[in-house]
Amino acid sequence: MAKRRKRGRKRTRRKVARRRAVWGRLLIILAILMAGYITWLDYQVRHQFTGKRWSLPARVYARPLELYTGLELSADQFLSELRALHYRPVVTASSPGLFSRNKNTFQLFSRPFDFWDGPESARNLRVTFSGKRIVKMSDGTNGRPVSLARLDPVLVGSFYPAHNEDRVLLQLDNVPVSLTDALISIEDRGFYSHHGVAPLAIVRALLANIRAGSVVQGGSTLTQQLVKNFFLSSERSLVRKINEAIMALLVEWHYDKDEILEAYLNEIYLGQDGNRAIHGFGLASYFYFERPLTELSVDQYALLVGLVKGPSYYNPRRHPDRALSRRNLVLGVMADLELIAPEDLSRLKARKLGVSHFKRKAINTFPAFLDLVRRQLQRDYRDEDITSEGLRIFTTLDPQVQWRLEQVLETRLKSLESVRKIKAGTLEAAAVVASVQGGEVLALAGGRNAKFSGFNRALDARRQVGSLLKPAVYLTALEQPGRYTLTTLLDDRPLSFTARNGDVWEPRNYDRKNHGDVPLYQALAHSYNVSTARLGLALGIEQIIKTLRKLGVEQHLNPYPSLVLGAVEMSPLQVTNMYQTFASGGFRSRLRAINAVLAVDNSPLQRYPLSVQAAIDPAPNYLISTAMRFAVREGTGRGLYQYLPDHQDVAGKTGTTDNLRDSWFAGFTDDRLGVVWIGRDDNQPTGLTGSSGALRVWGDLFAGFNNPDQLPVAVENIEYHWIEPKTGLLADAGCPDAVQLPFIVGSAPKEIAVCVQKKGVLTAPVDWFKELFE
Amino acid sequence: MRAVSLTQISSLTLLLCLLQACSSQPAHVSPSPVVDKGRQAQAPVTQSPYHSDSPGILVPSTTQPSRQPVPNTVADVSQPPAVLALLDQAEQQANTGELESAAASLERAIRIDPRNAVLWYHLATVRLSQGESTQAEQLAVKSNSLAAGNAAQQARNWRLIAQARREQNNPGGATAAENRAHELDPR
Repeated sequence: MAKRRKRGRKRTRRKVARRRAVWGRLLIILAILMAGYITWLDYQVRHQFTGKRWSLPARVYARPLELYTGLELSADQFLSELRALHYRPVVTASSPGLFSRNKNTFQLFSRPFDFWDGPESARNLRVTFSGKRIVKMSDGTNGRPVSLARLDPVLVGSFYPAHNEDRVLLQLDNVPVSLTDALISIEDRGFYSHHGVAPLAIVRALLANIRAGSVVQGGSTLTQQLVKNFFLSSERSLVRKINEAIMALLVEWHYDKDEILEAYLNEIYLGQDGNRAIHGFGLASYFYFERPLTELSVDQYALLVGLVKGPSYYNPRRHPDRALSRRNLVLGVMADLELIAPEDLSRLKARKLGVSHFKRKAINTFPAFLDLVRRQLQRDYRDEDITSEGLRIFTTLDPQVQWRLEQVLETRLKSLESVRKIKAGTLEAAAVVASVQGGEVLALAGGRNAKFSGFNRALDARRQVGSLLKPAVYLTALEQPGRYTLTTLLDDRPLSFTARNGDVWEPRNYDRKNHGDVPLYQALAHSYNVSTARLGLALGIEQIIKTLRKLGVEQHLNPYPSLVLGAVEMSPLQVTNMYQTFASGGFRSRLRAINAVLAVDNSPLQRYPLSVQAAIDPAPNYLISTAMRFAVREGTGRGLYQYLPDHQDVAGKTGTTDNLRDSWFAGFTDDRLGVVWIGRDDNQPTGLTGSSGALRVWGDLFAGFNNPDQLPVAVENIEYHWIEPKTGLLADAGCPDAVQLPFIVGSAPKEIAVCVQKKGVLTAPVDWFKELFE
Repeated sequence: MRAVSLTQISSLTLLLCLLQACSSQPAHVSPSPVVDKGRQAQAPVTQSPYHSDSPGILVPSTTQPSRQPVPNTVADVSQPPAVLALLDQAEQQANTGELESAAASLERAIRIDPRNAVLWYHLATVRLSQGESTQAEQLAVKSNSLAAGNAAQQARNWRLIAQARREQNNPGGATAAENRAHELDPR
């Protein structure tokens, strides 16, 4: 027994020892686990915080408006630009983002802005308009003349990441102190003294909640709230609370208060716009007030701070009463803490919320143009960089031109359908407007409804171009001044051409008539098919393809005879590219929609510079442009002058395809080039020719521009002669129907028309340069 | 059984420790910044070769001695003030080596006055200073196309073309361009 007992005692001792060892081991394991767990949390915190690059959508800006004396811009156009920039009308503009108007004189305080070529500071400007132009610009403070000022550019869109997170990043230095004061006083008064958690605050909140019988106060510090937003789900559980507390302590361990506050200001959730989450005070300011945070007043900061507690419950647009009392509560607390003078409190409390009207914006205002921007970016950037690296993209978009284009398409297509008894809504359209010398895309429409971001016809609709191709044929001829001039007579009599494979080609004119011998410039102006086909065959299809390549046409081209009559499919943008070469005097530029891209810290990443390539000799280019001027003066495009003043210099070409499926017009003035297409998505006939459809849109569009009256650019090696059109012989001003036409020096006809011989005198050729320069 | 689970646990802690080791190297976890891909030649302005000996960048050639009176002067007083302001700005930027900013200023000026041959010429000189001789030549040709009747400006353009061609190792073309310049403006 005793032995047994002994043994039993021994056993118990051993048991106890074993138990102790087990507990000891368990404790060690637990400690290791705990240490491991904290290490893991620590890793999370440091990873997220240090490596944190918020997914910042790319911001896309329109071209900045450059203001200078002489700029062609009306007072109303200026006003629309200021509205798009959300400048606010006041009695006296005394800080950035404000303006006042007195009839034709504006006084404005511009906003500072960081451009790719340096910062533009805020300026007080006085701008006077008269007759659709700026006639005077001076400094609003000292009255000195100002030669040039650049406004901040209109934000026209953003490229969001897949989860639609949006943010306007703030740096603490640029955050108004009133906002952080308000925030700290309401959300976490002990922010600058605690170490991440504030146990007393939790107890205080608990008591307050028990007293009230519901959750009226949160004990979370700003750090805890940040951790919750950053790392954790919104689930309410003890484990999460503990995690939150540990991580808050870790965050405070690693980072200083300013870093934490800055992260908080950028991270906190403040509202919802459809599927776009509004994070941070920077974006919230735009979302609720349509202007930058720095331009808000104290009561507006109080409103934003009040939203932290419940952006949806206190949504100032949906629940203005709740929002108002919440805002006033914040103001009251601020007054208690002497952040607001007591005499200001009642005045501030009496203010309206001041929230802008809610417009569920299509995320991007100009989806078709943004589409082009994105495609040009994709040549140089990965998709995830475009949507998350906060790129700042400066585009060439001119909002004045774009607004005009959208309005014109909407009204003109409706009227075409009603006047021509076309079923409403069946016509579609696309258009591109570009600057002539720089090749910058100023406006783009991918369909008649510009707000619709679906199929982008300007980029993706490949349609037969028809007669738009003819200038390339005629240019090929005019590049050989020994053989062809504008007055060379072309044969427009019926043609039957048998190809090598035995196919017979019998092109016919649109009017089904035979026009006999026609001077070259008139054959183009009237867009005769038969004479063009004969000319193209004489020149050789390969030669015409060479010319098209020089003009910038890059796509595959079949060397079939029908090419000369435009049996080739191109998008409106491709057509614009080709006509840009004509318009710019024979210099090819790749059309650009982007000027520069900056990184989120404003360091320049990439410039898309103006570059040119001499493609067509200026003299023949001048001749072909002249023929296109005749096309709108007396040819198929003559309807254009119903829209434009008679002195306006325009060169252009209509295009119509078989059975009236496509209606095109491409034309240019001194400074702008426009290409318009009208057709149907199912490729059925529209009943419209180039001149009865697209030309009208073009006319409406360009009638609204402030087109300068400029002569075409003077070109060397060109001389003008009087010509009798029907014979193509030298004439003089006195001959009936005589016209003055340009020739490459030495290529003018030598023979003199009968009308001159009768009189026996011939005026000397006009030396153009003497007239222009002496 | 117990032993097995212990090794599992210790391997987990080992993993955690490894992770901690990782966390001390934030370079591994921070996303790679957007980089300028493949356009280094154009992007960082400061890296572009700046030829201090290139002919008076953006200094109107009329300030240089010329034996003959020049018909259409470069620093034409009829230039709009906005364009003059941008020319001044571009000149300052070029003088401090900010060539890409100078180019941007000139592009702004061209947007305001696209038919001004002088602006295209200055843009050509900036590109030449950046070592972009091919584009410099093209821009000078463009300037020529806008300078019909202005022999002095054309001569300047041809001189620039000559230099651009020399940099392209095309001495024959350079000499031809110089001859054109001399014909237009013998000096």
